[in-house]
Amino acid sequence: MSEKVTAVSIRIGSIFVLLILWHFVAIAMSDAEILPTPIAIAYAMVGVLVEPGPEGKSAFFHMGVTLGRTFVTFGVAMVLGIAIGLAMGLKKVVEHSVMALIPLALTMPTILMVFLAVMWFGFSEIGSLVAVVGVVTPYVAVNIFQGAKAMDKSLIDMAITFRADRNMLIRKVYIPQLLPYIFSAFRFAFGMTWKIVALAETFGIKYGIGYMFFFWFEQFNMELVLAWIILFVILMLVLEHAVFARIEHAAFKWRPANKLQT
Amino acid sequence: MPTDQNNGHGNVVVSVNNLTKKFPDPMTGEEFVVLDSISLTVEKGNFASIVGPSGCGKSTLLNIIAGIETHDPSDGGTLDVYSHTDAEQPRVGYVFQNARLLNWLTVEDNMTFALESQKIPKDLWKERVNKYLEMVGLEGQQKNYPLNLSGGMQQRVAIARALAIEPDILLMDEPFSHLDEITARKMRFDLMEILMHSSPTILFITHDLGEAVFLADHIYMMSTKPARIFKHIKVDVPRPRKPEDPQIFDLEKELVKEFFSVLDAQEAEGD
Repeated sequence: MSEKVTAVSIRIGSIFVLLILWHFVAIAMSDAEILPTPIAIAYAMVGVLVEPGPEGKSAFFHMGVTLGRTFVTFGVAMVLGIAIGLAMGLKKVVEHSVMALIPLALTMPTILMVFLAVMWFGFSEIGSLVAVVGVVTPYVAVNIFQGAKAMDKSLIDMAITFRADRNMLIRKVYIPQLLPYIFSAFRFAFGMTWKIVALAETFGIKYGIGYMFFFWFEQFNMELVLAWIILFVILMLVLEHAVFARIEHAAFKWRPANKLQT
Repeated sequence: MPTDQNNGHGNVVVSVNNLTKKFPDPMTGEEFVVLDSISLTVEKGNFASIVGPSGCGKSTLLNIIAGIETHDPSDGGTLDVYSHTDAEQPRVGYVFQNARLLNWLTVEDNMTFALESQKIPKDLWKERVNKYLEMVGLEGQQKNYPLNLSGGMQQRVAIARALAIEPDILLMDEPFSHLDEITARKMRFDLMEILMHSSPTILFITHDLGEAVFLADHIYMMSTKPARIFKHIKVDVPRPRKPEDPQIFDLEKELVKEFFSVLDAQEAEGD
């Protein structure tokens, strides 16, 4: 067996062991309102996917709403974070003024930020956008700033001796050096965004996966709360592995040790 | 970078006259002299070498010629690089101590990066890339990425990149000093081979007198702190040369002796 096959089998085995443990604990407790069995959850998940939910909205509608919010707010937070990070790298004034504020933003508990955003801007799209930007943008900015600081000056000198113009410098020298930092910020920030959006929906923004957590939580329906949580996790893992890992692989094919990690 | 058209300069490519460079000391703010009244001339097709101890300011001189460092004309001296092609500005090729390749671009794209920067017409790129890669012994590596190549091969790509723009002057800053001696020796032979097939104009910096004597037509010996040129020798040994050729060997021995006597004298007077 190759190393990769072994690793994959161990991973699958580990999940399987967890499911079996869960199953026996649930049977021992025999209280489906607190801990339903995985099999019951699996049935509930199928039900969620094939039957229309409350107000006649399907599961895919809610997933779409959450995905839409996630992508839009993530895009805004990334663009702002990259712009601020670059400005910090280029101008000392920006670096010092932003650096004074960053610890404030990074130590602020995420849940409080979401809470404040929703209080100030209401249970609306703006509320979730402000929450995401408030939490994610400082993190992205710091990451990009570090990338800008780590830029290899000797390559810039090389490019200048060959008379590369500004456009060539940016495209072929600056951006490729920043890409690893952009990607690491990208992955982490996407995970954060997704959770913040779900949290904001749980607090009361209408529709979306988080909205459904809360809906079933209020009905004391543990089976459907868990079914939604697992659907949420699966959707996120698929995105992370199927989409981002591949984009990253394509962007870094020049690295000799770059094997596709899924 | 100082520029001028070639008219009326004969074969001169680089002309440095009494160039002085001062740096402010970062601690005291006081200025100290890095380069002291440097004069040298490199003519078309010449291989000139500056030999001096490490840290004597040789790289500073190359950087000034390449335009990545400046010199203050009020410190005295002039520096001119003349173009011998119809390009608007003289083309300068630079081979650094490290290859300085863009690791995210293929070997070919690293070369076209230089060609595009120099505004060389796109229809010439393919031919230039192939020709100079072959010249440095890397034919077939066009689509490979630098990090898949050994240090010596990366430096060959850097040489091919600098040659591909067909520079008026090729600056080389201890290009083999980061390689192991066996690879470096092979690279010197291969550079000699290149010199015999095409005759680029080269200004080559080294701390290795043997390397300079083996490769160069003109040797400028430089002292340190401040850097002054104290001797200019013409090496009249036809290529291909062999390092164990008695003529080369004797000249090296003689120059090493002279070097140490100058450095010792300088030390005695300086301390």
